[in-house]
Amino acid sequence: MVTTQKILLSSLILSITLLPLSSCKEDDPTDIETYDFQPILNHLAQHVITETYVDLHAKSISLVSAVTTLQTSPTAINLEAARQAWRDTRKPWEQSEGFLFGPVSTKGIDPSIDSWPVNVVDLEAVLGSGAVLSKEYIDGLEGTLKGFHTIEFLLWGEDGEKTVDLFTAREFEYLIATCQSLESNTNDLQNSWNVTGENFQSEIAEAGEDGSMYVSQKSAMQEIINGMIGIADEVANGKIYDPLSQLDVTLEESRFSANSKADFIDNIRSIQNLYAGLYMISGDGVTTFIVSENSELNALVEAQMQNAIDLIDAIPGTFTEAIFENPDAVTAAQESVRQLQETLQSQVKPLIDAI
Amino acid sequence: MLILSMSMLLLCMFIYSCTTDPEITNWYNEDEYAAGGATTLYEATSGAFSTPAPNLSATAFEKHMAGDVSFESIFVTAPATNNAGLGPIFNDVSCVSCHTLDGRGDKPSVFRVSIPGTDAHGGPNPAPGFGGQLQDKAVFGVLPEGKVDINYVEEFYKYPDGSSYSLLRPVYAISDTYISLPPGTMLSVRAAPPVFGLGLLEAITEADILAAADEFDLNGDGISGKVNYVWDVVSATAKIGRFGWKANQPHLDQQTAGAFSGDMGITSTLFPTESAYGQIQDDGMGDDPEIDFEFLDITSFYTKTLAVPAPRGLEKPNVMLGKQLFFEIGCENCHRQKWTTGIATGIPELSNQTIYPYTDMLLHDMGPGLADNRPDYLASGSEWKTRPLWGIGLTAVANGHTRFLHDARARNLEEAILWHGGEAEKATTAFKNLSAGERAALIAFLEAL
Repeated sequence: MVTTQKILLSSLILSITLLPLSSCKEDDPTDIETYDFQPILNHLAQHVITETYVDLHAKSISLVSAVTTLQTSPTAINLEAARQAWRDTRKPWEQSEGFLFGPVSTKGIDPSIDSWPVNVVDLEAVLGSGAVLSKEYIDGLEGTLKGFHTIEFLLWGEDGEKTVDLFTAREFEYLIATCQSLESNTNDLQNSWNVTGENFQSEIAEAGEDGSMYVSQKSAMQEIINGMIGIADEVANGKIYDPLSQLDVTLEESRFSANSKADFIDNIRSIQNLYAGLYMISGDGVTTFIVSENSELNALVEAQMQNAIDLIDAIPGTFTEAIFENPDAVTAAQESVRQLQETLQSQVKPLIDAI
Repeated sequence: MLILSMSMLLLCMFIYSCTTDPEITNWYNEDEYAAGGATTLYEATSGAFSTPAPNLSATAFEKHMAGDVSFESIFVTAPATNNAGLGPIFNDVSCVSCHTLDGRGDKPSVFRVSIPGTDAHGGPNPAPGFGGQLQDKAVFGVLPEGKVDINYVEEFYKYPDGSSYSLLRPVYAISDTYISLPPGTMLSVRAAPPVFGLGLLEAITEADILAAADEFDLNGDGISGKVNYVWDVVSATAKIGRFGWKANQPHLDQQTAGAFSGDMGITSTLFPTESAYGQIQDDGMGDDPEIDFEFLDITSFYTKTLAVPAPRGLEKPNVMLGKQLFFEIGCENCHRQKWTTGIATGIPELSNQTIYPYTDMLLHDMGPGLADNRPDYLASGSEWKTRPLWGIGLTAVANGHTRFLHDARARNLEEAILWHGGEAEKATTAFKNLSAGERAALIAFLEAL
């Protein structure tokens, strides 16, 4: 019987001198990599992902300001300004849905920002109660009583036709408090990625190094690609397909604001941003690797991303109307996103898995 | 020169070991990468616990994906067009809100309560006015049943080699109850466990589990693995308990329906009665069951058919050493490495799979340190079911934390080991007596799983 001490000693020597020979299994997931993904990972983490969250937070500050102005001066113009501020904030959020990993998931931030459906029964009950509608009060509520869709419901109303004279004083108070709560959640999110904060970006940028959460650069790249595939799947087979196939508008996510088409396009842009390595500052992206492996595939992905955006944009009218009046256009858009998902899943990902 | 010649010798041994030498190859087994058999996922990403098994048929995949939507569905107060029926009292609003990315919760989220005695089927005796679970949240206008205050006392210890460690001992107290708590109420605090690989564990045959049991320690090894027998509401008979921290659920349909009911206040075909029934805050809406059989079925199916993540780096020397120690000091006596599943009815993808879950599916006395002092069917107040260890090293990447044990008190794997008492006391003592390097190797092995 070999003693433990001897094994330990031999282990140390083995690890120093014989590591390359020590693998008996060729498809071991921790095989030594043959491509240096660090520049891609670094740029995506530092610029694309973190900057999207920084942008989201900046826009949410403007949203608080817009709803505060609306309360002070409830005019049709200020209502439209508040709605535009909501759309402006929604945009970077939807562009972040290609990377729903890390703190947004593990810290439970997503439900506070983007829960759906809205708990209308409880919302009406809270508005009808004497509860003090402070940010702290809203912070303590479930996600279905705050975040984007609650704000959307308050700004547009159930049928999307709410006018400024229909707002109650309590609704203004609720709007301001829930926008402040959103601002604080988006701040938490950008802080969790920022180098000046909890610096989660280093987990991606330094993947494979000692003490890193990701055992290899390849794992971090798989994380990125999975995020892209995941949102393509969600848009094609959930967000578009469910309301379309069941002809049920209540399954449409941004229905009150008629913002669904913009949501879908920004989701595809999220994929595009990771692929191209572009969010304000251009740099390495997934394309850097794919071009080096298969330039035809690279062209196909670029064309399919643009095609999906174009076909969603080409859906006439609102998404709500289109599922009834132009189902063919909606189906074509859905199909284009599904094709993109298929290419990412069956052609792009295997190139990374093979490293 | 000595080092060099030793290296040469070891090199020869090692190359040899990959082929024939049983003495060395014992601690590296290539087959173990397929921890979940054909359901194994070879990826170490945040999706490690939340990816469909790769071997699902097209039909099974479609059902799984439908179940994925159910598992993520956020419930709201009735009446509502979508996802109605939350509460009126609850612990959370969706499955994923506790099982983050289908994984492990970083804090307690469910609070079981009961009073002395048993119910009609030998299970915990519900606390009048509170039932079997304390719901700490409620829809607007309804009072939560109460809340659980958690205080951690940090205790400092030393290993025999002089290095120090500390443990957080939780102290729980129930406060702000909506009515007075019955005298003698017992409390058991639980965090959400991961939900992948469960269909494989369900497919282990009863005969195999019974063969592994040794309730009266007839083999004299100090370990008395015990089977829990619990009430099955489907067959209306007592069955072997397999799921839950105390093995108090016989199958995943009941586990899932129980969670819908107890954790979210969602009634189903299996549990059609509101958790608040008979209490002054019952909504009395008569809208039960709030989810139909199909919704329950696909949600349960989802947890049955998630992939099991593969281990990483099993051939690394310190991981092999850690595995050897894991076996030698007795961890594997309960955290049983290997099983072969039987027939999974209706899910051939899970049948006849060789799996490496590191659990014996049995109850063990874990000592006073971990005891909740609340019996659950045949499980005593200090008995817990051996947790599977597969995928445990991916908790950080999938769930963003490393809190372990039934109430998430352990801040890392080392603390989780050190809390083991009772039947595991001997193994824990042996762990403490290892050198620092050996302890690190054992943990490296767990992190590789």
